[in-house]
Amino acid sequence: MIFRFEQMIPLPMLEQDTSDSKVWEAEGLVLEQGKSYVVEAPSGRGKTSLLSVMYGIRTDYRGEVFLDNNKLKSFSWKDWSELRKNRLSMIFQGLELFDDLSTLENIQLKNRITGHVSTEKIEELAHALDMEPYLHRLAGILSFGQQQRVAIMRALAQPFDFLLADECFSHMDKENTLKAYALIQHECEIRKAGLVLTSLNETDLPGIDVSLKL
Amino acid sequence: MRLLYQILWKDHSRTHLLFAFLGTLAGFVLLLAGIQFYIDIKSVLSENRDLLDPEYIVINKKVNIGQTLGLSKVGFTEEEIQEIAQQSFADQVEPFLSNEFPVSGYTENERFPDFHTELFFEAIPDEFIDVKSEEWVWNPEVGKIPVIIPQDYLNLYNFGFAPSQGLPQIPKGVLSMIDFRLRLRGKDGYDDYNGQIVGFSNRIHSILVPLDFLKWANDKYGYFDKSHPSQVIVVSKDPTDPSIIKFLEEKGYDTIREKLKSSRMNIILKLIISFLVVVAAIIIGLAFLVFLLSLQLMISRSSEKIKRLNKLGFHYREISRPYILLLMVLMTAVTGFSLLITSLLAGKFHTMAQDWSLNISSSLHGILFGMAVGLIALISLANVAAILISTKKLCK
Repeated sequence: MIFRFEQMIPLPMLEQDTSDSKVWEAEGLVLEQGKSYVVEAPSGRGKTSLLSVMYGIRTDYRGEVFLDNNKLKSFSWKDWSELRKNRLSMIFQGLELFDDLSTLENIQLKNRITGHVSTEKIEELAHALDMEPYLHRLAGILSFGQQQRVAIMRALAQPFDFLLADECFSHMDKENTLKAYALIQHECEIRKAGLVLTSLNETDLPGIDVSLKL
Repeated sequence: MRLLYQILWKDHSRTHLLFAFLGTLAGFVLLLAGIQFYIDIKSVLSENRDLLDPEYIVINKKVNIGQTLGLSKVGFTEEEIQEIAQQSFADQVEPFLSNEFPVSGYTENERFPDFHTELFFEAIPDEFIDVKSEEWVWNPEVGKIPVIIPQDYLNLYNFGFAPSQGLPQIPKGVLSMIDFRLRLRGKDGYDDYNGQIVGFSNRIHSILVPLDFLKWANDKYGYFDKSHPSQVIVVSKDPTDPSIIKFLEEKGYDTIREKLKSSRMNIILKLIISFLVVVAAIIIGLAFLVFLLSLQLMISRSSEKIKRLNKLGFHYREISRPYILLLMVLMTAVTGFSLLITSLLAGKFHTMAQDWSLNISSSLHGILFGMAVGLIALISLANVAAILISTKKLCK
């Protein structure tokens, strides 16, 4: 799975000075499966916009984005639905959890449509993130840091060729961040998947192949 | 997918759905019951007619001042008779034949007071006459003229005229025994014949003589201008046909209204039923709107969740499923309950009708099932379309 960007820039970014950006309006920027990327930028530079474009949530951009040489804009409802079930996984900055479902149910809701992992596997993931005691608690009453880990688990409990993680460690301490990052790396390796991680300043994460400045 | 249903059903408004359900149910029961009873009553009406003879309707033109002054004709022209014959309700049409010569009757019997009157005769083929008598034959050799008079004439005499004038009442049998003389006047003189009342008609309000006699007599004595027949008799196998009254009114023809009771009843019945159907349609329409709005409200309450589910990779069709399932459950319940209630009503009506010795079916007519299912399918389709459109709008 290869993303290729041709002079792509989200319309709201046009108002900003993007002359030093490596991504916006870049010629033939390529993101490949199997590699890990970190997108670094201060707030408001369009980190979330980039991931949203790749995930099909945003279509208000100039230029073109190709996925395996197909224009993203040409994808249908069904295409996006299939992509999000089997090939693309995203950890949303806003988490997008259902507060009135338990941690386990939140993960299962997605897992049910993909049928990817067993409950044991979910428990394994929870164990790795010290979230086992919270599996049966309602997601709405967890702390934001805990909710972030639920979102991470949900994103990992499905098949994907690319994982898009949008500031997913923002409310975790160093130790938890490293644990979560290790788990993400591990799951990506198993799937030979690509990883795009946005962050305010996570330059010190190990094993990042490419660092992109917005 | 239990979780998906759990998430999306949470945002329903129980009162909205309940009222939409009850409204649709009420509309359906009204509609189905109306149609059920319409079919029943219609069959009762025509059934009763089938058992009896077909209806004989005597039609004449309404008398207006023009006819009184001799300006317009009272009779039916050949074309007008043809036109009547072409109507769907008319199985047979026969004009009345009138006498074309003066005729008078008198008695010559000591036992009865002397009596003399000018008369008129009319004749129609025997099969239209409700009196069957062996004496209803004309034989020129014998020279005895059988006459049928309306039962009403005798009643008028016996219960109106005789008591007020101090005259004796006459039973039917006695009247038949009275010999009286009939004088037929031609251009060149007259002949007297014996006459006998051989029967009393409830159907035809005229003085009837056998058709072959009147033809013969018109040949022999007739010298009036041939006039158009002033009355025609129409045989209708379906007197409940509402078009009879409509036709008569359009043409300005008249008849004894009593005969057309079932035709009028049919019109009234149709009016009531169409009113019911309109009311039912309005109720169903409103209930459909409430359904539509309740589901749309549910969807818009869940809009954040729907957007979220879409982000997680749910297709908008998958997201629509819980709503469609809910709709289907409610619609199936409406169909089931409305048919059940209507059939209970039909049973009740059946027992009531039995007391009036009317034969009304206790089970539902097949067409009702078809109608209920068809309507439900239509409403469901519209709702499903609306659900799909609004969930699609929320997805990217």
